[in-house]
Amino acid sequence: MRLNNLLVYFLVVFFVGCSDNKIQQQEDYIFGTIIGIKIYNETKIKAEKTSREIFNEFHRLHKLLHPWEKSLITDINDAIFKGKYITIDNEEVISIIKDAKNLETQTQNYFNPAIGKLIKLWGFHSNDFNQEVIPKEEEIERLVLLKPSMNSIKINDKILKSNKKNVQIDLGGYAKGYALDQAKKILNKNDIKNALINIGGNILAFGKNGEKYWKVGIQHPRKPNVIATIDLKPGWAIGTSGDYQRYIIIDNVRYSHLIDPKTGYPASNSQSATVLVPPSENVGVKSDVFSKPLFIANKKNKMAVAKALNINDFIIIMNDNLIFISKSMNDKIIWEETIDKKNITIIESS
Amino acid sequence: MIKKILQLLKVVKPGDCLLISLFCILVIVSIGFFWNLPQGEYLEIYKNNKLLTTYTLNQKISKKIDGSKGTTEIIINDGRARFSSSPCSKKYCIHQAWINKANQTIICIPNKISISIVGKEKKYDSVNY
Repeated sequence: MRLNNLLVYFLVVFFVGCSDNKIQQQEDYIFGTIIGIKIYNETKIKAEKTSREIFNEFHRLHKLLHPWEKSLITDINDAIFKGKYITIDNEEVISIIKDAKNLETQTQNYFNPAIGKLIKLWGFHSNDFNQEVIPKEEEIERLVLLKPSMNSIKINDKILKSNKKNVQIDLGGYAKGYALDQAKKILNKNDIKNALINIGGNILAFGKNGEKYWKVGIQHPRKPNVIATIDLKPGWAIGTSGDYQRYIIIDNVRYSHLIDPKTGYPASNSQSATVLVPPSENVGVKSDVFSKPLFIANKKNKMAVAKALNINDFIIIMNDNLIFISKSMNDKIIWEETIDKKNITIIESS
Repeated sequence: MIKKILQLLKVVKPGDCLLISLFCILVIVSIGFFWNLPQGEYLEIYKNNKLLTTYTLNQKISKKIDGSKGTTEIIINDGRARFSSSPCSKKYCIHQAWINKANQTIICIPNKISISIVGKEKKYDSVNY
């Protein structure tokens, strides 16, 4: 009997030791982008079940928050436009709207989910952005002067009303980050220890890649390779706002989907802004939202806004290919060899 | 003689048999594992521990590199690579002959040049964009 136990013990240790570090990988297409889930060292059944649950949750959020296909958000927008009250029987959406309001204030209105009308005007309320003309100047100006803001939305016990008809909620810069935070909950619930979630470039590291940290490449905004790699430690998230994924080109000018709420025009001073966010309950939301102010603000204000938002780790690639990187971030990344170091300016935090 | 073997068998207990068979399995599995290492894709050449260049193994070239003692020649052919000449005295690096599997490495300490085969594996797990 003792011998049998010993045999079983040896065999278990032997085969567990032999199974190589398996990463289960699943992909889906949601939120108009690619979702990648990597799960480390779990059984196939468990990894697939968890991934499916995460994808289902993302599909649910996509339907719930869609900015232009019929969703609770478009229902809210319709009611706002008609100047009506709307009763929202969905606590989650109410808390999302409240959160978005706070973030708008916190980011000094650079992140402004109330400018749905401007985003639509620029043709980004479609799946294939094929608008061929620049919107009329007076139309842009009209919408900017109305100063759409989430702060004109008042929620009182499930009843939502806006005192400005031109407020149209678009959670495009929030939903993917929120989805990352939801994914984290599902991983926890399913007792997964190590995973990496990528929603259209927004990445959350959950645990580690075995003995190593999850390693992430940061995309070059103009070349088909990465500019640097970074170890994403457990609980950290990374997000980039860039002008190279969603944009239109009209008369050889690039117009990104990142519209400056203050001018009504696509921000054009940067190619990309990347933020690295330390672990927190809403790390995903922060990684999605906080890259926007750094992308949109003018050169002078970028550092001030980073400081105000407590962003210690960032990389900003300007339109003239100059790279601004915080000291803290520079200590964490490994530059690819092809990057011209002359263009890099390291920002010491003050 | 036969008596001796029979005596020996009496000393060997079931646990010993288990240990011996486990080691046998270990040896067999290890051989299978190391023989099936993935084929390499690229050759990395290091000088003074710094990556000098990377070549794909799908070509036929010879490359001369100046090390600290003199010129080393490395050749790539048929998806494999080796040192073909070296200024070092013992020529261990040349005697290693061809390598073609991922993670195989030959180091020439005297001339501070090493070559390493790397596989398709990417340098990162995901891309932020």
